[in-house]
Amino acid sequence: MVEEKRIALKNSGLINPENIDDYIKVGGYSSLKKALSGSSSIVIDELSAAGLRGRGGAGFPTGTKNQAAAISCIDCDKFVVCNADEGEPGTFKDRIIMETDPHILIEGMIIAAYGIGANWGFIYIRGEYYTSINRVRKAIEQAYERGFLGKNIQGNAFNFELEIKLGAGSYLCGEELTLLESIEGKRGYPRIKPPFPAEKGLWGKPTLVNNVETLANFPAIIEHGGKWYRNMGTEKSPGTKIFTISGDVNKPGFCEVVLGVKLGDLINDISGETIDAKPWKSALLGGAAGTFVPYSFADAEMGYDNLRERGATLGSGAIIVMGSEKPLIPMLQNILKFFKHESCGKCVPCRLGTNYLYEQSLELKKEKGLNRNEILDNMVNHARIMAKSSLCPLGQSPILPLESLQRHFTEEIINE
Amino acid sequence: MVKITIDNKEITSPIGANLLQVARDNGINIPGLCYYEKLTPTGACRLCLVKIEGMRGLVASCTVKVTEGLKVTAYDEELEETRKFLLDYLLSEHNDFYDGSYSDELRELMFRYGLHKHENRYFKPVWQKLDFKTDSSSPVLTYDPTKCIKCFRCIKACDEVQGKNVLSFNDRGIHSYIIAGAGIWGESECDGCGECIQLCPTGAIVEKPNREKINLEKISHSAVTTCPYCGVGCQIELMVQDGKIVRSNGVEGVSPNDGRLCVKGRFGYEFVHSHDRLTKPLIKRNGKFEEASWDEALELIASKFKEIKEKYGSDALAGYASAKCTNEDNYIFQKFIRTVFGTNNIDYCTRLCHASTVTAMLKAIGDGAGSNPIEDFETVDCLFVTGNNIIETHPITATYVKRGAAKGQKIIVVDPKWTPLIRYATVWLQPKLGTDVALLNGLVHIIIKNGWISKSFIDKRVDGGNEAFLQLKELTKKYTPEFVEEISSVPQEKLELAARLYATSQTSMIATGMGMSQQVTGTHNVFSLINMMLITGQVGRERCGINPPRGQNNVQGATDVGCSPANYPGYIPVINEENRRKVAGIWGIPFEVLSPKPGLTTVEIMQAANDGKVKGIFIMGENPMISDPNLNHTEKALKKMEFVVVQDIFHTETTPFADVILPASTWAEKNGTFVNSDRRVLRVRKAVECPGEAREDWRIVHEIAKRMGKPMPKYKNEAEIFDELAKVTPIMAGISHQRLDKGSIQWPCPTPDHSGTVTLYLDKFNTPNGKGKLFPVEYEPQKEKVNNEYPFMLNSGRLLYHYHTATMTRRTKALRDFVNEAFVLIHPNDAVKLNFNDGDKVKVESRRGMLETIIKVSEEVLEGELFMPWHFTEAQVNRLTRDELDPYSRIAPFKLSAVKLTKI
Amino acid sequence: MNTQEILNQFKPLKENLLPILHAIQDNNPQNYLSDEALKSTAKYLNLPLSSVYGVVGYYTMFSRKPRGKYIIRFCTSPVCGMMGSINLLDWFKQWLKIEVGETTSDGLFTLEESECLGRCGKAPSMMINQDFYGNLTPEILEEIMHQLQKS
Repeated sequence: MVEEKRIALKNSGLINPENIDDYIKVGGYSSLKKALSGSSSIVIDELSAAGLRGRGGAGFPTGTKNQAAAISCIDCDKFVVCNADEGEPGTFKDRIIMETDPHILIEGMIIAAYGIGANWGFIYIRGEYYTSINRVRKAIEQAYERGFLGKNIQGNAFNFELEIKLGAGSYLCGEELTLLESIEGKRGYPRIKPPFPAEKGLWGKPTLVNNVETLANFPAIIEHGGKWYRNMGTEKSPGTKIFTISGDVNKPGFCEVVLGVKLGDLINDISGETIDAKPWKSALLGGAAGTFVPYSFADAEMGYDNLRERGATLGSGAIIVMGSEKPLIPMLQNILKFFKHESCGKCVPCRLGTNYLYEQSLELKKEKGLNRNEILDNMVNHARIMAKSSLCPLGQSPILPLESLQRHFTEEIINE
Repeated sequence: MVKITIDNKEITSPIGANLLQVARDNGINIPGLCYYEKLTPTGACRLCLVKIEGMRGLVASCTVKVTEGLKVTAYDEELEETRKFLLDYLLSEHNDFYDGSYSDELRELMFRYGLHKHENRYFKPVWQKLDFKTDSSSPVLTYDPTKCIKCFRCIKACDEVQGKNVLSFNDRGIHSYIIAGAGIWGESECDGCGECIQLCPTGAIVEKPNREKINLEKISHSAVTTCPYCGVGCQIELMVQDGKIVRSNGVEGVSPNDGRLCVKGRFGYEFVHSHDRLTKPLIKRNGKFEEASWDEALELIASKFKEIKEKYGSDALAGYASAKCTNEDNYIFQKFIRTVFGTNNIDYCTRLCHASTVTAMLKAIGDGAGSNPIEDFETVDCLFVTGNNIIETHPITATYVKRGAAKGQKIIVVDPKWTPLIRYATVWLQPKLGTDVALLNGLVHIIIKNGWISKSFIDKRVDGGNEAFLQLKELTKKYTPEFVEEISSVPQEKLELAARLYATSQTSMIATGMGMSQQVTGTHNVFSLINMMLITGQVGRERCGINPPRGQNNVQGATDVGCSPANYPGYIPVINEENRRKVAGIWGIPFEVLSPKPGLTTVEIMQAANDGKVKGIFIMGENPMISDPNLNHTEKALKKMEFVVVQDIFHTETTPFADVILPASTWAEKNGTFVNSDRRVLRVRKAVECPGEAREDWRIVHEIAKRMGKPMPKYKNEAEIFDELAKVTPIMAGISHQRLDKGSIQWPCPTPDHSGTVTLYLDKFNTPNGKGKLFPVEYEPQKEKVNNEYPFMLNSGRLLYHYHTATMTRRTKALRDFVNEAFVLIHPNDAVKLNFNDGDKVKVESRRGMLETIIKVSEEVLEGELFMPWHFTEAQVNRLTRDELDPYSRIAPFKLSAVKLTKI
Repeated sequence: MNTQEILNQFKPLKENLLPILHAIQDNNPQNYLSDEALKSTAKYLNLPLSSVYGVVGYYTMFSRKPRGKYIIRFCTSPVCGMMGSINLLDWFKQWLKIEVGETTSDGLFTLEESECLGRCGKAPSMMINQDFYGNLTPEILEEIMHQLQKS
């Protein structure tokens, strides 16, 4: 029986998110005080020791990322940005954190800022998350009132100003470099990298971009130490992860579990099995930019590298369950329509490719039998070329669902 | 320099260079559409993908900076397959229809990869489904989204090169398209410079003029020449089809403009082929002009001028040279006036323009030309711009300024009227008209008080050293910030900020324009400016100095080659006997022929005519009946003269007063040289033939000389004229047409192996003792005062779209489509008091004359002041101006006239 | 509040463009950005017009056309889609008698398709202005619409 281990969601549902005193009562902001009492490098050390990996989807080692920003230029302006532009279909974990415990995010950000030496921070929240925006805004006000934000935080020689920035309906703005463009008040086009944000981010200054869930883990890591965090989960994917399970299950929702749990156990124990009680046909792991896995993956251990070795992705932690009767082609169509709609249009392979793939998915629907095999094969080839020639991760994504469908579900698709 | 290999070929390259550029420079022609050398790389088209050892996957070579030891694969099967695939994709969103009127880089790639054959194309066209609409609202271009490949070049061209930021994408994904301003190109801030047209790789943005006619394959030839409009001297390439100019492109990679043009340089050639061109000599008989043969006309001219010379003496004759003609034309002209007329009464419109600046500069530092190259406008730390609407009058110089501003350059602007430059200004000083000496003395006062002077510079390089400095200090003692604020209305804090920025910046440079020069105190204005420059040592080093951006394409050159009543070619005074002997020797004429008496200046010539002293005038390429001050006087003068010859390309406001009109050539119809604002001698090359019987200007003058019995040598071509010119003009002694064919040269260039002089005064000033001179001057209030009868002070100036007397620009449709109407600007508070509204017809009257025009309410002017553009013949601003002259420079105060307004 | 009052609440920095556009749009009873508002914004922030219009054109939450009092953002993204939102949308279009992108003739409702709203646990789902509604069925939709029409 899978049991939850709540770290990022430690206070979720247990406190009033609009009351800072509730947060303080359960130990809130004590990690911040602890961090401020030591040198900033300790923060980076603990994060590295913890082995925490970026929870937005890329899974990049957080310690390494924060370290890069910390050592980038000693005496200049730096920024911390929280990526709260949660747009990956099937994902809503960041919204849960912001709505139920905004202070844990704020505390995490201040710790991150202290670690890298940044005095300004932005939380970039997607425009549709009105409740999150209101709650985070209120929490920031309260944090200022109590001296957790602003000048000389808690009597220490550390200043940090925090502000909310809004998205307005663009999935691509959840991509690190595009996010920076959006904060600067421009259209969401990804930048060329290098340079990376740690070197040249907002307005050319070193910038750290971390996901909401990633930051929400910082207080606990500082509190209990990096080693404590490392001891949970798997060797390469330590710690806990919030999974959001939706689709043909009885109890769609979210949970925070130690990494390494099995996929099938998650679907059964947490979300109460499939609605028709039959084995699920497929699970889409990681959202639209994710991979379809068959029921045989029920024993797959949920970890970044474990899944990658089996040709699947952990991604944002979205698990979309398709029941035994669910047709896959409409799902694929929907995913490709999503990419076409969200493509910024800057680079040729993605601008034309996402349009082409969507049109081909319509063909896939129209055709029958073995013709579908040909079309699917063609689509995979196109997606492969897109993946190797595109400017940013969006163009590099359609290959994931397409290839996984081809690998596991060709029969299924032909016969649908 | 580092070594890299591309496809096993070893290549040396500077470190940090752009990999794609390096490959192409070495003959490895990696395809790419969004990359352009002078723009920042974009990485959008993905055609330039390469493989680099040690880097994962395929990398866009335009986004890679070269480092030591890079091993690059530019061509292999996978890369070529991928490129073809991407190109095929791109072509599916592109409307392939090609009308031959533009260069199409996508089309070239299409042929290169065999995708012109439809059987080789994989993707079906999708562009028709996208429902795009062409935007033809701009006067100069059309934007067709069905041909747009979203390469970002136009946006970057507008932002990075021209600093205008007019363009952006709208919508996203495959539905993206370009918008200008709020979406309608013709209503946006686009000023028609055409940088986007030049850089667009497809037919998405194409120029309108000649669109139907032009076919690139039918272009017979092109000529690289210099723009005929302002003094920046942009290098343009004129393309000729069926004997007519059909396109003008900026020439990339050369000074001074690096491919950039303004709307006039790009579209202003239409006048060359206007049906209004003078094609035959015209002689006035019984008050009417009749066509005549060249023989007839030239004989008449020769005999009449000879008659006047014999009857009244040489000094009863005068000549107006042309700032628009080439150096060769002008050199021959001044030679004619001096050797055939035998007088030094030669001058031209420079007297109306930078005369004060040049006079003051010659006296104080020894040279009357800009001390810095145009590139310094971008790299200097602090730019002090006074009386110069640089964005509208010298648009390309302004692109350098805007790029400098984007990098943090401090800009101080002194201007009584708002101009677009003020958007970039760190501080804007808006003084009342005519108070410049007080303002500058005030800045000097603040600089001295705070010790922001350069003692070592004053000691070493200023004439009189500390003593002279103390004299200046004494005079400027009373110009405290409070005192200056009272006189000029500029707040003290702004004065202090401007003084500090100018004096304490590492390198500061001055750009000074008509606002300073065209006043009765014009010379004094520039003296006080130079005082400030000398005591702070902001001259005599690189990126420091003083620059008058010149108005006309060859106003600099015309004085350089001697079209001046006081100086021979090379700025050697007329009274210098040794030089006259030398020149007489080179010209092969008796020394006595050359008059030792300095001649009359432009306005003085007209005044002398009114006094009955000047009886005959030869006007080449000038339009004094628009450009001279106090037109009523000028008109009387022309009528009073016994014989007037006007040599021009069109009938102008002056030709009605001529006795003979001679049809001349435009810049596109002859070979020669111009000199621009930064002393660059630039080639002018013939593109088309003169229409009808029109002739090159120098040939006409040459012929008249012969018929007056004083023939000049038979010059084979303009290069030979220049060779003689170089002998006579020490500053250009080392220059020849042959040398210029390899690139422009900045004078002084004393010997053929000298590479020209980039910055002046690095070692010494060009004064007799090599030191700069301070000229402390007091502020004098203007004599022209406003009173109850004439309550407004009228300022005059220029617009971007028209050029001076507009004989050329108003004959160009594209320019007329932008602006074609005169107006007077009035401050809203004044408008309310007088009950004036936008568009009201109004009579503007001064103590000299009057005109009618319409009202434009604007906050660009101060209360109590007005502004009019002087281009439009239906509202001749110079009817209102006066001809009271600056005592040194003899310039008229175009910038200040007391007027009154009455509603019609 | 008029446009200038809204603008004055923000520092005139380009980074405030998106928050300003949201504030102006939300303050407008027809939930859109007029040309005057956009020109005032460009002037206030000292930005070229094309930058402001280009941003409005890129982000899907902004509209240059007047819309209804209630903006319905109906999710048709992968999860909601597979849970039946696309068929439900067809039904909804017929019920409202408008196509996607249009506004009902009484000026109350504008129907828009939206990408994933982050409510996948309650698919199919939609947002109306700032409020969220999930687990939609035709009956529930009708109920919600009637409530809104009454108020």
